[in-house]
Amino acid sequence: MSQPATTLAATKSRHARQGGLKIALVFGLAIVVALIAPHLFASGFGLSLLNRMAIAIVFALSFNMLLGQGGMLDFGHAVFFGLGGFATMHLLKWVDGGLPLPVALLPLAGALGGAFVAVPAGWISTRREGTAFAMITLGIAELAVALVVMIPQWFGGEEGVSGDRSGGMPLFGFDFGAASQIYYVLAFWALIAAALMWGVTRTPLGRLANAVRDNPLRVDFLGYDPARIRFLTFILSGFFAGIAGGMQALNDEILTVSNIGSQASGAVLLMTYIGGVGTFSGPIIGAVLITLLQMALGTLTDAWQLYSGLIFVAMVLWAPGGISGIIRSHAPILRGGLGGRLLAAYLALLPAALVTLAGIIGLAELAYRLQAVRGGGKPGHLFGLAVSPTTPWQWLIPLALFLFGAALLSRLAPGARAAWQEAAAFAAGRRGR
Amino acid sequence: MTSALSLRGLYKSFGPTSILRDISLDIAAGTRHTIIGPNGAGKSTLFHLITGRLRLDRGEVWLAGENITGLSPHAIFRRGLARSFQVTSLFPRLSVFENLRIAGMRNAGCGHAFWRRLDGFAELAEQVEEMLTLLELGPRRDVAADALAYAEQRALEIGLALVGGAHTILLDEPTAGMSRAETERTVTLLRRLSAGRTLVMIEHDLSVVFDLADTITVLADGGVIASGPPASVRGDARVRAAYLGAAAEVLT
Amino acid sequence: MQEALFVLLNGLVYGLLLFMLSSGLTLIVGMMGVLNFAHASFYMLGAYFAYTISVGLGFWPALIAAPLLVGVLGVAVERYGLRAVHRHGKLAELLFTVGLAFIIGEIVPLIWGRSAVPYRVPALLDFPAFTLGGIQYQAYRLFMMAVSVAIFAGLYAALARTRLGLVIRAALTHPDMVAMLGHDVPRVFTLVFGAGCALAGLAGVIGGNAFTTTPGMAEALGAIVFAVVIMGGLGSIPGALIASLAIGLIQTVSITLDMPLGAMLGHIGLPLDPHGALGQITIAHAAPAVPYLMLVLVLALHPRGLMGARAD
Ligand SMILES: Nc1ncnc2c1ncn2[C@@H]1O[C@H](COP(=O)(O)OP(=O)(O)O)[C@@H](O)[C@H]1O
Ligand SMILES: [Mg+2]
Repeated sequence: MSQPATTLAATKSRHARQGGLKIALVFGLAIVVALIAPHLFASGFGLSLLNRMAIAIVFALSFNMLLGQGGMLDFGHAVFFGLGGFATMHLLKWVDGGLPLPVALLPLAGALGGAFVAVPAGWISTRREGTAFAMITLGIAELAVALVVMIPQWFGGEEGVSGDRSGGMPLFGFDFGAASQIYYVLAFWALIAAALMWGVTRTPLGRLANAVRDNPLRVDFLGYDPARIRFLTFILSGFFAGIAGGMQALNDEILTVSNIGSQASGAVLLMTYIGGVGTFSGPIIGAVLITLLQMALGTLTDAWQLYSGLIFVAMVLWAPGGISGIIRSHAPILRGGLGGRLLAAYLALLPAALVTLAGIIGLAELAYRLQAVRGGGKPGHLFGLAVSPTTPWQWLIPLALFLFGAALLSRLAPGARAAWQEAAAFAAGRRGR
Repeated sequence: MTSALSLRGLYKSFGPTSILRDISLDIAAGTRHTIIGPNGAGKSTLFHLITGRLRLDRGEVWLAGENITGLSPHAIFRRGLARSFQVTSLFPRLSVFENLRIAGMRNAGCGHAFWRRLDGFAELAEQVEEMLTLLELGPRRDVAADALAYAEQRALEIGLALVGGAHTILLDEPTAGMSRAETERTVTLLRRLSAGRTLVMIEHDLSVVFDLADTITVLADGGVIASGPPASVRGDARVRAAYLGAAAEVLT
Repeated sequence: MQEALFVLLNGLVYGLLLFMLSSGLTLIVGMMGVLNFAHASFYMLGAYFAYTISVGLGFWPALIAAPLLVGVLGVAVERYGLRAVHRHGKLAELLFTVGLAFIIGEIVPLIWGRSAVPYRVPALLDFPAFTLGGIQYQAYRLFMMAVSVAIFAGLYAALARTRLGLVIRAALTHPDMVAMLGHDVPRVFTLVFGAGCALAGLAGVIGGNAFTTTPGMAEALGAIVFAVVIMGGLGSIPGALIASLAIGLIQTVSITLDMPLGAMLGHIGLPLDPHGALGQITIAHAAPAVPYLMLVLVLALHPRGLMGARAD
């Protein structure tokens, strides 16, 4: 049954080579996408969207270094992001004042700032694991916010600290003042940071972080101190979060307390989890998608926050692997050519899902418009219809849609799940032979 | 010469319940030693005390001439002592290969490096491949540990203790729950891999005990009631009375 | 002198309120290992329910009904939410409660508006209980103290004397063992979770009118309650009591100290530029940071908290 060791080793090195090739391809593709994207989305909105995505990708990847790879839920990850940003901002002001440094290099200051702050924070928090770790990071985050508010001389109080990114030394004739120019700086750092973070997953420390996530006790009996591994991973993660913060400083040219606060920490948790913590690409997917939704829906509806909360809870309940988890659980089925059959089962769910969704959106929008009306505003339109949230019967329609849709969904869902399980088992069987 | 492992007057209680009292034991380097005793005698607790899992109330533990009392588990491992667990304790989401590789990392000099490729440690990978073959887990190389069958998990559990090249190895009931054939294969494996090392194992299967052990210790009622080569333990009246009872025929 | 006494009394009231909140959370953490992130949200719901009920029926019915409603909500959350994510592990449970807290935080202002609601102290207790040196002390504050102390005593007695209490105490330290002894642990979990939420609701009822009832009240207190529970040691009721009182007193006292750090450290011989960024901070400024500073200090010295029982 078992192959001779030599051929086994040969197969392995071929696998490794192919793996290396695949990575080079993926990375090359990422560079191409990064170069093409600003031409496809050349509008002000498009560029601003791309810039935000680049920042979010780095931030989410650094967050998942802790959550997905190390099993550490950091409720205060924005502390490293924000303080890295402040470090960059202060350096930027010096650059504005004549310090001869190219602005494009400044995210490095963010990285050092993030890592510097992560040392004391990690020293306290990483001695514990799981829930206790998460709560301690929350306390540290509150402490950081309180300190930042307390020292307006350094952090600018309510107004924050601002700088001018075009005031530095030009590089290759660019001063990076325009959004289209700073894009290339941000894309460059996003690619570098992502590549480095991917690299870390392939190192001894990266693998040890996985081990500590899965079974810290056993790690202790294999010669490694789990707390030390958590600590080092935490500092690395702070380093990369700091890069993202530095990118943010360059992009927005202003940083305030809100950049280190609970909203920012919650946002990165949201993106990462929805994208999927189980894979390296998950946080990237989440960062791109949530940034897009936020910028598109955030202007369209007041209810965006509520929707994102609902999506998050739905994911925790029904798709803990996030979007990348869903993709991964379907990949073998699609490769096995069983996608068509499964698609039919899923399509059967679609009407019920749409009805439920319409009901939820209707209820949420009515509620938000009721609030607007109470505040003296106008209710506006929904799905092209004039709404009047003070009329009781208007609430009955979405309520009925929701109840009907949810009931239908709960009837149909087991069937779709069974179809998926059957297809997955079938695909696995095929591969096994 | 110094013993591989030397226990000097160990005491342990859980709350008011005294579990171990005045345990002293010397295990010569390069020998295979078995600890037997009824369920609940405190054998696993003794392993926990030696390896730093539990803190002892009194006494000292010496490993190869060095006092390791009170050290943390990872510090003890670094001094050359590896162990397995009675209740399987693996890295469930990682592949069999990665499980074994993690176990070998410390002694392969990987440290906490985050600037070197783990795949670059070729000798470690070779060591792991070898262990995979020995454990007959080669075909399951890339399967996640939690997807293994029970016996495969037990084999991997032993493999984690063996792969790092520790000079002293503690195995807590390595053959528990294995079939006859699996047990025999494990015994062969242990015989082969314990050459030149010190092996201490807790074992219930008396045929395994008498097959493998150079020396045997019997633990009962919180104390060592007999310790020595199989022949002398076999003949000990107290052992017969206190522990072996119905199993006495096996001995004769 | 009298002023100092008042400050101490207020610190005591605040500390006892914190304890009321954290006792429920401590029970839940100790037993289930789940840190309910939405705990302070249930506190907020208690206050808002009480406000709505008291508008129609008055304070006293609200005192009973609002905690019960919150408790029922807690039971539903445990039964249909937490239990479903349980198989995905501890982190998933925690994340579920994070999402829940977020959603509650969005829905409350939708129903009751973004600004504070006029939830007032009942007229029956809105009189000065005593006057010291010209300052009046409201009777309602004494009532709050009495309720908190009664809860501590009741909880203590229930845990020590009843059979359910015995199971809960055993489950605090040995959850697996209790399950093996044939107790219906899931049911006990649901009950404890509901009771913990009801306690949070009760704290909301009596804290919401003493302080203010706004959509921000959960976030303001939430992090402090976690600090209490971690500082006291996960699962330890006496630890939670000590930490609550310590934070309540120290934070309340520090609000009244407006001496700049530079000057103060100067007194004890530590040099800190009184005109620099740090030297100008007063203790009162630093008051919001106090609970977290204490948390960090305690953990630096004592990673498991003051009286930590559970490791995770
Ligand atoms: N953490 C603990 N707390 C309390 N009692 C324990 C603990 N661990 C083990 N015991 C008790 O100590 C005794 C010895 O257990 P153990 O060492 O596992 O026995 P053995 O391995 O010999 O079967 C048993 O009675 C067991 O119930
Ligand atoms: Mg045992």
